[in-house]
Amino acid sequence: MKLNKLLFYSLISLLVISCSGGGGGGGGTTTPTVTLTSIAVTPADQRLLLETGATKQFTATGTYSDSSTQDITTSVTWSSSNTDIATISNTSGSNGLVTLQAVGATTITATSGSINGSTLLTVETNNNNNDNHLTITVNGDTLCTNAYPNKPCVSVTVCTPGSNTDCQIINDILLDTGASGLRIFSSVLTITPTQVTSGSGNLADCIQYADGSADWGPVQTVDVILGNEPAVTMPIHVIDSTFGTNAEQIQSLCGTPDVSPNTAGFNGLLGVGLFAQDCGSTCVSVTSNQMYYSCSGSVCSPTAVPLSNQVPNPVALLPLDNNGVVVELPSVALGGKTSIQGDLYLGIDTRSNNSSSGATMYPADPSSGNFITVFPVTGGNTYSSSFIDTGSNALFFDAGSQNALITCSTGIATGWYCPSSTLSFTATTKGYLGSPAANIPFSIGNADTLFSPQTNWVFSELGAPYDSSTISAFFDWGLPFFMGRSVYVGLEKTSSNLGKGPYWAY
Amino acid sequence: MKTRKLSSLLLCFSLALIVLFVGQAYATLGESTDSIATNRKALSAVRSTTITSSKYTVHVFQSETMTVREYVSPSGVVFGIAWNGLTHPDLTPLLGSYASEYQKAASHIKRQPGRKFVKVESDNVIVEKWGHMRNLQGRAYAPALMPQGVSNDEIK
Repeated sequence: MKLNKLLFYSLISLLVISCSGGGGGGGGTTTPTVTLTSIAVTPADQRLLLETGATKQFTATGTYSDSSTQDITTSVTWSSSNTDIATISNTSGSNGLVTLQAVGATTITATSGSINGSTLLTVETNNNNNDNHLTITVNGDTLCTNAYPNKPCVSVTVCTPGSNTDCQIINDILLDTGASGLRIFSSVLTITPTQVTSGSGNLADCIQYADGSADWGPVQTVDVILGNEPAVTMPIHVIDSTFGTNAEQIQSLCGTPDVSPNTAGFNGLLGVGLFAQDCGSTCVSVTSNQMYYSCSGSVCSPTAVPLSNQVPNPVALLPLDNNGVVVELPSVALGGKTSIQGDLYLGIDTRSNNSSSGATMYPADPSSGNFITVFPVTGGNTYSSSFIDTGSNALFFDAGSQNALITCSTGIATGWYCPSSTLSFTATTKGYLGSPAANIPFSIGNADTLFSPQTNWVFSELGAPYDSSTISAFFDWGLPFFMGRSVYVGLEKTSSNLGKGPYWAY
Repeated sequence: MKTRKLSSLLLCFSLALIVLFVGQAYATLGESTDSIATNRKALSAVRSTTITSSKYTVHVFQSETMTVREYVSPSGVVFGIAWNGLTHPDLTPLLGSYASEYQKAASHIKRQPGRKFVKVESDNVIVEKWGHMRNLQGRAYAPALMPQGVSNDEIK
């Protein structure tokens, strides 16, 4: 007992000595140094509205050991715990300036040496309205020309630049998440666009599609209104197969471009894919880009084009809802429906109607937009060039080892999968670097049976192989993928609560 | 007289330079690797590598907008071409003597809206295209020129 007590006191005194040792010893002989003891970040616990201003200045106030305080905003290191919600500048001249990115919460921290101070920043929205909404119809009333299965259409409004009266609503615009840019046939435009110039010539665009078709015509500026969004002045592609030069040169530059809405099957296309422009940085630096031409006299020559003159994804230029879109279609039971109606929301996490909560984000390759599909789940092939596309009207993939997936070689469904009964499958989709991963169940039915009554035009179980097994790296998740899902298309160089684009999320 | 001689000399010299330094142009389907396509666009190819297998040689050309792979038989004839890039290449110089039959066959193809691939088959050449904006791919091959034991699936 006694020994224990002794040991206890010895320990206590050792502790006391060691704890008071450093500070006490030198205190009497040197001038007391004033040290930073805490940092306060203001404004504290801010709730900011995303739409009332994109930036906000934060201040760091240091409190020192002598109880003095000082503004140390420019000398601390600033950080934001979630840069998808808000970023903060450490650049000289703008230290502490927060830029709001998306709805959500983040912690803003100011650090100096081992001392730091932080505060919570909540980014909110008062946009509870539906101004960012467009109705999608699949074989519905916004469709006016050639019908084909699983064709999603929207309406857009275009105006003569600067006019809010000389406007027209254009129906039968194909919604395309596999491309970027608004393209409208010249023959349906009654407004007066302004030609975009390139050097001494008029700028023209050639878009080649993988089905062998193409769109040719001038790049012209109009005011675009999507849903009830504000009008935004931007270049669009005016489809005109006779523009700029003779038929022979157009054919050599752009193949056999679409001539009319009737032959194309739409009045135009609304490309709301992963990219901010149809071409992007390549066409800024490369003259022979095979997309952009400058037409002067009756000759069109290849030309490089600054980003601002390229045909943009219209969503990228919206004031608030500019980080992507959400596409939602209802489920469609096996056997199909005559038509369905769905929703296109502009922006992701910018309003109460486009929250990404619950969705998982799959990063897409920043140059191609592709991600990965493995089919079937166990021991399957890896389809490294997979994409999700409202403009593809079925699930297109190579059957691989699935022998039951036979293809119709005659009749109305020639070239489509025609298994003897509807088959259920599961594939795994992955981000382009391999994660995250999720299993996607889907069905493939007999297209001959689906098409034969010709009463239904919307099918969740429609699929087809490529004509050649060589194209096996491609898995094209077309319109059936969107049925019964909310699909988030995250634009490059933007972010939302899901992360940084380009991405797919669902 | 003197200046004309000088300029023609200069012209010859520049032509020689072009052949020397931009000799990495594409060859044409059905022709030998020595054939250099006349299409100036093709001359923007910036570097090339060669992959040799027992059955054929692959010449890979990288331009600023696409990669083109040319499959050459042991006898030196180009029997297949595959591409992958921002756009499809101008097929006229690449297909050479096959270009007109391809164009004729392509003009008769019934458009299949909603599909992201097309196969154009004519008497002597098969052209397939697929993909989507920012990533268009395709291939062209002449079945009659394929070396024995080579499957068309190898052209990719």
